Amino acid sequence: MKKLYLFVSLLVAISFLLTACGGGETQAENKLAEVEDRGTLIVSSDPAYPPQSELVPNAVRPADTKCANDQKTSAELQGFDIDVSVEIAKRMGLEACFVTPDWTLITSGNWADRWDVSVGSMTVTPERMTNLYFSQPYYTTPAAFFVHADNTTFTQPADLAGKKIGACTGCTYDSYLSQTLTIPGEEITFVVENPEFAGYDTDSFALDDLSLGDGVRLDAVLTAQPTGVQAIQSGKPLIQLGEPVYFEYLSAAIDKKGSLDPESFVAKLDEIIQAMHDDGTLLRLSQQYYGLDLTSAAGEFDTDLLDQFK
Amino acid sequence: MSVEAISPPTGPPSDLDFQMGLDLVAYQQKQRRLLSIKIAVVWLVLLSFITIFLLLIEFDFDYVIENAWYVIREGAKWTIIISVVSISFATILALMGALGRLSKNAIALGLSGFYISLFRGTPLLIQIFVIYLGLPQVGNQLRLLGVSQDLPFLVTMGDWFILTPIQSGVLALSLNYGAYMTEIFRAGIQSIHHGQHEAAISLGMNRSQTIRRVILPQAVRIIIPDIGNQFIAMQKDSSLVSIMGVWEITYMASRLARKEIKFMEMFLLAAALYWLLTIISAWLEGLLEKRLSQAYER
Repeated sequence: MKKLYLFVSLLVAISFLLTACGGGETQAENKLAEVEDRGTLIVSSDPAYPPQSELVPNAVRPADTKCANDQKTSAELQGFDIDVSVEIAKRMGLEACFVTPDWTLITSGNWADRWDVSVGSMTVTPERMTNLYFSQPYYTTPAAFFVHADNTTFTQPADLAGKKIGACTGCTYDSYLSQTLTIPGEEITFVVENPEFAGYDTDSFALDDLSLGDGVRLDAVLTAQPTGVQAIQSGKPLIQLGEPVYFEYLSAAIDKKGSLDPESFVAKLDEIIQAMHDDGTLLRLSQQYYGLDLTSAAGEFDTDLLDQFK
Repeated sequence: MSVEAISPPTGPPSDLDFQMGLDLVAYQQKQRRLLSIKIAVVWLVLLSFITIFLLLIEFDFDYVIENAWYVIREGAKWTIIISVVSISFATILALMGALGRLSKNAIALGLSGFYISLFRGTPLLIQIFVIYLGLPQVGNQLRLLGVSQDLPFLVTMGDWFILTPIQSGVLALSLNYGAYMTEIFRAGIQSIHHGQHEAAISLGMNRSQTIRRVILPQAVRIIIPDIGNQFIAMQKDSSLVSIMGVWEITYMASRLARKEIKFMEMFLLAAALYWLLTIISAWLEGLLEKRLSQAYER
């Protein structure tokens, strides 16, 4: 019986240890002040989307990091989004720390102050604007159709009418195929009529299924052009079909339901991202990761169009 | 049951019946040995099928070897921590739940019955979502109330509801498995002959002494295999916490897979690691079971 008591008290001790990771905060008057007091910028990024965000193989966590135990350091992740986050944090005089929740948990809002900002190539959409504030876009992503390399019948996206097209569920490609997509500040034409939509957890599963053969499971996949190009580079037998069908503006996102007022924090992010456009930092990163200029259009985007702080 | 210990009687004529007994024992041993060899062959054939499968799908062994240590170092660590902590909490919950189920108190009966019904009747994944996403909203409301009414203890209480991914995962796994294990504990306790109860009472023990000193020690021996079973299931279900971004085996495997689109490689590595973990825990459970049943060996 004594052993049992020892065991129970050990368990209680462990649970205290586990809770100790969470709490401990001083009341700041707004989000920006809180982040500056803490000295770290907590960024969410799901490392499932190379080359935006991916794991560093066999990474070693630096010993002198200010990041909490359940957060990751910039040494453990890599990619375009990660470099942008580190640069944003640097310009605020902070260290970037990362948390890696699933994409749906990021887009749903209600972050409960677990992290400050998402720098996760998130497209600005009206639905997401109900839960999140968006910063100045830091780049754009062209959305393009990909088909199997063996295919000879499709020559342009409009040929895919009525065909089975895979894309990630709940993302903008899903909305595009169901012709419900609206992007603030952009006119969209829906070129594919009545496609048969096949939903996937993430784009790379769809690309995997498409590469099984022409029409085996899918006839085409609608995804970000860089994602498709990377799949081709890693040896998938795919080709891009025609020109990109629309462009998405990708921004940093901030929770609307956080406990502290985020307005000055969003303004600070706008200012930093605009400065990174102006001095060519983002263009350089875009060239490094994509070999393309994906940033110029984003630098000219007018955030007043979003009309976020009414 | 060693045969060598019984030496045949010396000198002629040898006892025919005794010789026959020896032959029978030797024959049975040979049969048993043959059976284990046959079983080993079946395992080898099945493993070679898996190997052929791997060769046919152009399996990239180098990618697995490159990343295996990182998945073990980071991923297996969290899988083990989460499942060990969760099974411990679940065991406590199950014990309390079972005592509630067996009591005659309406509140205890109602609480334990509701708990089992709710947590056994809803999917673990949904429970994780509700705990991770839903509880913080309660916490935020409490915090707001605390700030507006100037009640600092409400603010502190609100903070308790905002759990980290690991805490949410442990809580969900403990509650879910605790509900299943409640029934295991109840069955174990009920399987002890009521004579034991009566004997304990006649020795002057009260209810809690009877449970602690007489019933539980005997019941634990019976339910250990089932707890081991639940622990094995939990190690695999702990993969669900990956959706909150805990870097356990499944998370590491899926994210490393997406790096170079090597899903088969990384998922099979994850499968192998889970398999290894469950083999180890089955073996440990066997040792524990043997240790607890020493008093019953004949």
